[in-house]
Amino acid sequence: MRRYETIFIADPDLQEDARKNLFDKFTNLLAQENGILVDFDDWGNRKLAYEIKKKARGHYVCMTYGGNGALVSELERNFRLDDKIMKFMTVLLEKDVNPSDLEQEIAAAAESKEEAKPATENTEKATEDVEADTTEDTETADDAQEEN
Amino acid sequence: MAFQKKNTKKRFFQRRKVCRFCADSTLEIDYKDAKALRPFITERGKIIPRRITGTCAKHQRKLSAAIKQARTIAFLPYVGKLS
Repeated sequence: MRRYETIFIADPDLQEDARKNLFDKFTNLLAQENGILVDFDDWGNRKLAYEIKKKARGHYVCMTYGGNGALVSELERNFRLDDKIMKFMTVLLEKDVNPSDLEQEIAAAAESKEEAKPATENTEKATEDVEADTTEDTETADDAQEEN
Repeated sequence: MAFQKKNTKKRFFQRRKVCRFCADSTLEIDYKDAKALRPFITERGKIIPRRITGTCAKHQRKLSAAIKQARTIAFLPYVGKLS
């Protein structure tokens, strides 16, 4: 599995829920194509160095994920179809990563986030942990089957 | 005479610049960090040659790749403005 990083610039004039739909569409697509989303970083509206589609600002999003080349081409095809995406770029970060390593990273990131939360949400924490464990198990099982 | 000649030559000699990235290994070249790339481009947006910045060959390669990536995704301009 390869690790990629995709930055895309969405239309800055979108409504909040329309933007959310747009992002969900791509994260769902990623999951469909057997990609593992490690990080979804929303940078918000930023000034562009040059105008794109006559706009001086853009909504930047940076995604880090594990996947293969087919996933990237599918993702980029959809970026091209969607006119709410002004520009995108994918960079290969690592040529060979273990899917289980990626999942560990996700778990570690989730933990550090939870630590930042106030202690009153302890009960929620426990349930989240259980959920995370089950999803991890099923995913690794799927991977093993594919390899066979 | 020979001595004098040497002296006049020395006047043009400049202090050897060291590569910023070799001197400080914690510095990383990242296309997402446009602010860090700024010193290596001109006001017009051109990449400054390494004979001027003093960057070593290895890091200049990485630097120019990073600047080009940053241009692609509009962190840096292809053509800067005349100010």
